[in-house]
Amino acid sequence: MKRHNAYLVLFLLVSSALLSAQDWIRTGTGLGVEKIRLAVPDFKNVTTDSGTQNLAMTFNLTLSNDLRNAGIFDMVSRSFFPLTVPGAPQEVHLADWSSPPPNAAMLAFGNLSIDAGYLNVQGWLYDTKNTQSPQVLGKQYRESATDENARVIAHRFADEIIFRLGGGIQGIAETKLYFVSKRGGSKEIWQMDYDGANQKQLTHLGSIALSPHVSPDGSRVAFSGVTKEGWQILMYSLELGRMVSFTRFGGDNFSPAWSADGQNLAFSSSRTGNTEIYAVSSSGGDLRRLTENRAPDVSPTWNPKTNSQIAWVSGRTGLPQIYTMASDGGNAVRVTDQGYAVSPSWSPNGQFLAFAWVRHYGPGAPGASDIYVMDIASKQWAQLTHDGGRNDFPSWSPDGRHIVFQSNRTGKTQIWTMLADGSEQRQLTTAGDNSQPNWSFK
Amino acid sequence: MPHDVDIFAAEGNLRLPVMGSVALHTALFALALFGYLIPGRRGESWGGTTGGGGAMSATLVSSIPLPAPPNESKNVLANESKGLTVSPPAEIPKQDLKAIPIMAPDVKVKAPPKPTARKPPPTKEVAKEEDNRIPFGEGGPVSGPYGSFSAGGAKGGLSFSGGTGDFGSRFGWYVDAVRRKVSENWLKYEVDPNVDTARRVYITFDITRSGQPENIRVEQSSGVPSLDLSATRALQRIDTFGPLPPEYAGRYVSVEFWFDYKR
Repeated sequence: MKRHNAYLVLFLLVSSALLSAQDWIRTGTGLGVEKIRLAVPDFKNVTTDSGTQNLAMTFNLTLSNDLRNAGIFDMVSRSFFPLTVPGAPQEVHLADWSSPPPNAAMLAFGNLSIDAGYLNVQGWLYDTKNTQSPQVLGKQYRESATDENARVIAHRFADEIIFRLGGGIQGIAETKLYFVSKRGGSKEIWQMDYDGANQKQLTHLGSIALSPHVSPDGSRVAFSGVTKEGWQILMYSLELGRMVSFTRFGGDNFSPAWSADGQNLAFSSSRTGNTEIYAVSSSGGDLRRLTENRAPDVSPTWNPKTNSQIAWVSGRTGLPQIYTMASDGGNAVRVTDQGYAVSPSWSPNGQFLAFAWVRHYGPGAPGASDIYVMDIASKQWAQLTHDGGRNDFPSWSPDGRHIVFQSNRTGKTQIWTMLADGSEQRQLTTAGDNSQPNWSFK
Repeated sequence: MPHDVDIFAAEGNLRLPVMGSVALHTALFALALFGYLIPGRRGESWGGTTGGGGAMSATLVSSIPLPAPPNESKNVLANESKGLTVSPPAEIPKQDLKAIPIMAPDVKVKAPPKPTARKPPPTKEVAKEEDNRIPFGEGGPVSGPYGSFSAGGAKGGLSFSGGTGDFGSRFGWYVDAVRRKVSENWLKYEVDPNVDTARRVYITFDITRSGQPENIRVEQSSGVPSLDLSATRALQRIDTFGPLPPEYAGRYVSVEFWFDYKR
């Protein structure tokens, strides 16, 4: 009997230990955090007519560009690839990819084919160092076979990879940029993909349109334009493809900015004679005045993380400086300490402000306007552009890893992007004058 | 009053104390010698095999299988020792000796001299340091950390206990994303600027299925409050690590994350 009891106790102990067991990860810093080395061979073309060839070329180019632009991958050069490129899981020899020269940690591969006017794409992501269960991702796409859809599928697959490997942050391959372009003669609002492709004109006002800002759900673009009643906040519906009405306020109204929940719109208005910051609901009602100062207050931007703070530009101490305040107008705090600081943009995680800053402004101080990023809590800042003409109007990408801005370093004002550490600066537009970019929320 | 008063008149009285002192020291020495010579009267050695009771077996700290930083490498370029890479000897193509076209009838073809058997020069054994070297042009981790998170093998930076226990071996990419994200969100300038180095601080937390960190707590403090706080804040800044892999059955994963601080 005693022995039985002892066995019972032992069994209970062991089983309770097993039940309470839990998967543990033990890791730490200083283990060499670097970019993931990713190999993306061309997707295998199963059908071999000329139409498929062109689509395959578009697809492969878009996919590799998206992954390169993501900022978290170290792309393996094509010259390092093995001679046989896999198109399906059974064709993969992981050892060829995991060992030098490719030395890839991850391998994205797949195949594409056209049947009955539809483009079929199968894509996989493999962990090359994990021979037991290498598959991280497997996806299948089917869209009508157009060049545009080949790009869309590539964007989607790239975003899936970035989402998995980038720590749960959505990729930006399907995001849009809105900007002002003068290439048609007058300043109008334009739209393009995040990589500069598919540029198209939205508004045809024939006057001046400035500072576009797209709503978080991507349905409307708010901007300021010249009307018979002066400068007003105007709305363009992306769903309807035309202008829609919005409340008109007195005076001149500029630089609308959506809160991240889509409930509110902040802007600057001179309806009482002096330029102040106001907020209205997304429908145009419930107007609230947030600042009250004799100096001009302009360029509001919401903290997208909390929607309870606004950063803006005020001239209350002389030259324009960046300030932050609560969204009800209280607790104003000056952020920049010197120079000429304008165009704030709040990072999606609420931690940073990007803005244009001439640190040494005035006679005898030939300062350049450059893009800076400041950690709001510690007031530490970093300069992202250097000695490259006049840089202004930064706007954060929704993943918080990229910044789009305008620069006239090539002579004309054009739209540029860079990673949020200032690296990988790329020009997106070339035709005409393009300015005031705004990155969509998703 | 006499002029020649001997102020050292009391000198002769020292003899007795000196004698006493010598006797006392002799006695002490004898006592020490006696104590040493008699066995069994000595103190027991702690942890020794002869000691009574349960002697604890101590493990050296250096033998705890903590992961080595993968970037640590001996610089194979800037020292005088030979490289770590063994170059295989170049293959000499075999000559077909019969193909020499000497066809004159009265010329004797001299037999080719026998190749003298020569011992190949002894090749130097090159120490293998496969795990600890970075090949030319590659700054990244060579043999990991993706696949080398093998369960039980704590070498790659991770070890697992209990549960299904295969999270690391199956989803090394997820573990790596966690490490990257925490490292990105750790702001070193939050640490007291007067601190140069500190002990390792251990933070533990759980990752829910949707990828959110929960139950963030300091498992072992570094002794520097600002460092502990900065490590905790790094975790609090993170909204999500991304949902746990759908193939993983568990409800959550526990993570032990350490922070090494050095200014």
